[in-house]
Formats: sequence, C-alpha cells, structure tokens
Amino acid sequence: MLFSSISFLYYFLPCVLVLYFLVPRHFKNIILLISSLFFYAWGEPRLVLLMSVTIVIGYVLGILMEKDAKHKRVYLITALISFLGALGYFKYTDFFIDNINTVAGLSIPLLKIALPIGISFYTFQILSYTIDVYRGQVKAQKNVIHLATYITMFPQLIAGPIVRYKDVAIQLESREHSIDNVALGIRRFVFGLSKKILIANVLGEICETFRVSNDKSVLFYWMYAIAFSLHIYFDFSGYSDMAIGLGKAFGFDFMENFNYPYISKSITEFWRRWHISLGNWFRDYVYIPLGGSRVDTARHLFNILVVWMLTGFWHGAAWNFIIWGLYFAILLVIEKTFLLKHLEQSKVLSHVYVLLAVVISFVIFNATSLPQVLTDIGGLFGRGNLPFVSEEALYYLRSYAVIFVLAMFGATPIPKRLASKWKISQYAEPVVLLLLLVVITAYLVDGSFNPFLYFRF
Amino acid sequence: MKRKNYLTVCLIAGFLLSISVWNAFGRKADYSESERRVLAKFPEVTTERVLSGKFSAEFEEYAVDAFPMRDMWRRVKVYVKTGIFAQKDNNGIYQADGHLSKLEYPMNEKMLEHAIRVFANIKQKYLKDNEVYFVMIPDKNRYLAEENGYLSMDYDAFTEYMKQGMDFANYIEIADLLSLDDYYKTDTHWKQESLVDVAERIASEMGAEFTQEYDVTKLNLPFNGVYVGQSALVCKPDTISYLTNDVLERVEVEGAKAVYDMDKAKGKDAYEMFLSGNQPIITMRDPKNAAGRRLILFRDSFASSIAPLLMSGYSEIVLIDLRYISSDKLGQYVDFENADILFMYSTLMLNNSLGMN
Repeated sequence: MLFSSISFLYYFLPCVLVLYFLVPRHFKNIILLISSLFFYAWGEPRLVLLMSVTIVIGYVLGILMEKDAKHKRVYLITALISFLGALGYFKYTDFFIDNINTVAGLSIPLLKIALPIGISFYTFQILSYTIDVYRGQVKAQKNVIHLATYITMFPQLIAGPIVRYKDVAIQLESREHSIDNVALGIRRFVFGLSKKILIANVLGEICETFRVSNDKSVLFYWMYAIAFSLHIYFDFSGYSDMAIGLGKAFGFDFMENFNYPYISKSITEFWRRWHISLGNWFRDYVYIPLGGSRVDTARHLFNILVVWMLTGFWHGAAWNFIIWGLYFAILLVIEKTFLLKHLEQSKVLSHVYVLLAVVISFVIFNATSLPQVLTDIGGLFGRGNLPFVSEEALYYLRSYAVIFVLAMFGATPIPKRLASKWKISQYAEPVVLLLLLVVITAYLVDGSFNPFLYFRF
Repeated sequence: MKRKNYLTVCLIAGFLLSISVWNAFGRKADYSESERRVLAKFPEVTTERVLSGKFSAEFEEYAVDAFPMRDMWRRVKVYVKTGIFAQKDNNGIYQADGHLSKLEYPMNEKMLEHAIRVFANIKQKYLKDNEVYFVMIPDKNRYLAEENGYLSMDYDAFTEYMKQGMDFANYIEIADLLSLDDYYKTDTHWKQESLVDVAERIASEMGAEFTQEYDVTKLNLPFNGVYVGQSALVCKPDTISYLTNDVLERVEVEGAKAVYDMDKAKGKDAYEMFLSGNQPIITMRDPKNAAGRRLILFRDSFASSIAPLLMSGYSEIVLIDLRYISSDKLGQYVDFENADILFMYSTLMLNNSLGMN
C-alpha cells in the first residue's frame, strides 16, 4: 500500500488511528503489528510469510546468542547467512545468472523472481538487531510481538528510514502518547505527503515525458537530469517525512534521514545529509568492521571502494547501481586526498561542483542499462549532434517552471527559516495543513502518475 | 502551542474521518457523466483474488472512482495545477481562445504507417477500377495550439506523409477552408453548419452534384463536449445546429436510426445525433435518386456530420468505420463495384490508428 493513495489515507489510516488510540496501552503494539501485516499483505499477500520467517529467525537467534554466549558466533553466522541469503536470492539471483551467461556464453534461464517489497529495508533492520545483540549493545527482545512490531512497523516498513533497534527498544515497551506528538506527527506527515504528491510526482512526469520523447535536445537532457535529481529527493525525503511523522503520532522517534543534501559543499558532506540511516548502517556494520580509516592507505581505499560498491548494489541488482556507488567512492577518495581543502576556498564553486556531481550521479542511477548511461550523460553535453533546444523542451520548461523553482527553493532550508521568522497567527498552520490535504486529495482523485521509487529497493 | 496542536489534530483527523465515513456509507455512482465512463465497482472478494493481489489492485481503482464528490476534487486539482503552479495543461487538456482541446503531439509515424497499411490493403483487396479519394480533416489543434504556445504537430509534414503513403488516392485539401470557429469550443469535432464549403469542394473534386440550399436548425439543448468532462472545468456549453433540405428529409438510413437522431441529441454525447454516432456500417439512400452514383466512405466520427451534405450528389452513401468492422470482412457486406471511394479521416484518428483494422 502506498502512503500516497486514497486507500491508505481514507480507509487504512483512519481505521488504524481509531483502533490504536482506543485500545489500552498494552494492546497498542498488537494493533500496530496486525495493521502493519495487513499493510504489507495489501501489496504482497504471499510474501508476508517470508517476512514472518525472517522475524522468527531473528527472534530465536537473538535469544540464543544471549543464552548460549559460547556459540554466539555460530548464531550470528546463521543469521547472516539466512538474512543475506534471502536478500541475495530474491534480489540478486537473476543478476548473477545474467552475468554468468554473458561471461561464459551460457544460456541458463533467468528465474524471474519477484522482488519482495521492502526486503532491503527490513533485512537491514533485522541484521542490525542481531549484530547489536551479538555485540552486546542491546539485550535480546524476549517478546516476539515487540520485535515483530519493530521490524514490520508500517510507517517505515517498505522505504525506511532504516530504524535501528537500539533507537526504539525502549519505546517499543513504553512510549508517550500525547496530543502534541500526534500534532507534530500530522504536520510532518502532511508536509511529506505534499512533497511527494505536489512536487515529486509532478517532476516525475517530466522524466517520463523525456524518456518517450523523440524531440530531445541538450536542454531537455539537463531538464531531465535536474528534474530526476529533485524528483528522487522529494520522493524519498517526502516518504521519510511521512514515516517519521506517522512514527511520532504513534509515540516513536525515528531518526532523521535527510538534512538538505543539496546545500552540501562536498560529496563527503552530501552523504552525511542524504539517506542518513543507510549511510550510518554501512558505516557501523561494514566500514568500521573492515577497519575504517584506522588502517594503511591502501586498505583504507579498499574499504571505501567496498562500502560504496555495496551501497550501490543495495539500491538495485544492476551494473548502473554498482557504477553509481563506485562513482561516489572515487569522488570521496579524491576529496579525502586533496580536493576538500580546495573546496573550502570557494562556497560558490563547491556548491556548483556538488550539484553537478550529484545530478550526473542520478543520471547514472536512473538509467536502465549501461548504454543508456552513456547516451544520457553524452546527451547532457550534446553528444550525437543534438540541438541545444527543442520545441518540446521549451514547452515543458514553460509548463514546469514554477514547479522547478519551488522544488529548488524547497530543497534548501530557506522556507523553514522564513516560516520560523514569519510571525503569523497560531491558527494559520493547521489551516495550511488542511488546505494541503485538500489539494493532495484532489491530486490523488485525479492522478494517474504515482510511482514510488524506493519500493524497488 | 497547545491550542495550535489541538486545532491541528481536530482539523486533520476530523477531515480524514469524515471523508472516510462518507466513503464507507455514501451512495456510490456507477457511471461518471462528466468523464463518460463506467466507474470501477467494489471488487469481488475471493481467497485466490486476495492472494494474487488482484483484489487490492482493483480496490485501489475503486477507492479513487468511488471517492465522494469526485468531479469537485478533479476541478480543485485543475485549478491548482494551472492556476497556482502555472502548468500549461492538465493531463494533456488545455484551454485557449475560449476553446478546450487536448495536446496531440508528436506526429506518430508508426500510427500513420498502420493506417496507410490498412487503407492499402483495402485498395488491393476490393478496389480495382474505382476512383479513390482521400480527405484529411485537421484537428482543431492545427488552428489553436501553436498560436497559443502549445505543442503542435507539423501538419504540413503530416499531410505530406499521408499523401505519399496514399499515392493510390486523389488527395482533396480542405485545411484552407477551415478555421478555429468551425469547431465546437468544448468538443473535438467540427460544426456541421460550417461545413457547406468543405462538402462542396469534396463533391466538386469527386465530380458529384452539390446543393448549397440548406435550412439551419438550432437545437435548444446545451452541448457539453468531450473535453468538459476530461478537463473537469466548468465551461459554457456549446449548441448544436444541423442542416436540412428536401433530399435529407427523404433519405432512408440503414444501420443508424436517422440522419439526425433526436434521441441521441438528448443523450450524453449530443454529437452522436449525427447518424446515431459510431456504427460499423451505415447506408444512406435517396429513394428519388435510385439509379444514381454510389459512394463508399471510410470514416471516423468527423464524417458523421459532413456525409449527409454529400447526399445531393449520390443515390447511396455507405459509411464504414474500420474501428468496428474488420476490413477483411467487408466483402461480405459491401458492394464496391462502380462506387466512388472516399477515405475521410481526422488527423486525430490517423495519429492514433491502432484501433483500425
């Protein structure tokens, strides 16, 4: 089920909210668990079983690690094999078969396995739980309902943020429910939904239009690249806002996942502001265990390459994602080696560099094949005698100009700063939220274009 | 702060809950008059359908279609999209010079090739010694889009492409006789009362007689064209007028109710009053001109309003809509011998010709 759907907003969510706040405190997790399973089953009825098995394995192995500390390494390896095995089977099998076929000239048939929604997210959550139990950083959860609630919680189930167990362990057992939390949650949810529906989806239309256009030009390639970069930001950060907002309404504090990444002055800073929960996960469970930066230079470079290749591969089973990850690895290495100190000398140039690097990265990210990566990047620079402008590009530039400006403005902290300085009646904000909800509803009732990018991860 | 939070919760939760209750217990429409389509019904619930995900997919459609006051929400969207976000069109529909229209862009060569292939097959299969003519009706974007900054096909290139593909037919140019005023403001079609000169040129090129003597009758009914529903805008309706004379009053029609079907005039799409709308084969006969010439007219809906004006030159006109009958089966129903042949299609149909077979 999509947050940005009529069925979620006007069927699922009201029922869950009413039930959740009506039942006594000790039944609240059960309501959350049942509603989360229903939420997941709505899109993947058969694969609820896979997620349930994952939870049970994590639950049992967590307890065993504590009770039988002598063999906890064995339990950890069992967990890693089980969880990564399932992720590998469902997400990467066909990728490897395809590449073996290409390299060895074989024709092993592809298995065409459907990717379970959100498997990359919930696998990373259960992995973080088991590893933290193994490390003794958290106690194993004895209540399977609590653990299942943590893994399946619908606000963050299918697209993150990747909530760490240790961050919500206490809240799973006891949390505060208040009108203030619900109001804050609603506010965050409606703003997130607005980012998704009013900006991300509209920018996504340009990307779709560009793909099917026979009237491409350099201008159109740049419009596509910028539109996609803004689209993915508003789509994903909007979803994270919705997740954090819903979590807040239910009494949870989920970590922030985005912090205005497009204002960064280096790629190093960009990755501290973009998909923070994923970056932290790789830092804590891959980069640092590999030795991090406290090793010799060669090993450090190797660690960076491994982490960023895995980061790319996590996003999708295709070479363009791996290249996307390695592209950032190279930029990060260059920055660490010498560029960072130069970037500090010019704010303007450093912003231009980051935006250019990120826009090109998302062109790589959104390509459907390696030849398309080359075509799209070539198109940005006029490869193939492309005209500079085309009739279609100019039309869509005029038609989407306001959205482009709003999106660029909205990707900076300026609106937030202005809102905090702008002293208006305390009644204005609820009215604005209601108006936004009315407009969002109108877009959903009339809308046809409503994809959500991070589902495929 | 406390008061603001209370107000936020009350307003948003109240809004969500009241719409949900309305959703659950409100009366659901089966048909959308404005969109001219059947709305999705509550899907059938079976274990297999639930497990396969079919139920949830169909429920999503139902939830959107069954939403209370659907047209009002659609209208809000179009005003926000075009008014606040200054987007030039909504789902391809735009408003300019008092007209509603839909972007038709770009020229789709694959579709034109498909149409040409279908026509060429007909020529090869049925038309040995017949005189064949081809008329291409420009859609109103030709006179509206470019002038108002909207994407517009290259109509000259379009015409050239079709003329070359239809080299077995005599091309009759009519674009120079038309202007924006010859089309309804809220609909895709042209107005019959504006087509006398167009019909005269076609008749003249085919060597058929033609009369300019018609009485104009204005229907006293509002005509909300197809774009009204699609745009979700509130628009001033058009009015439909139709032309009559002695010939048209005595014409006998087979395959449609009448030349001017007054039941359809009161229906959902008043333009269907012309020869009862889209039908696979319609035959018009002039009983006082039984031994005269015959015309086989391959056509789309635009021809429904102009075909009656050609009756003065023919004893029989057979209209064939290839969207509703396969060209392979025409031999069973239509006698092509000694008939003039006219392919008359709008650019809209040619550019989206996949339905023709």
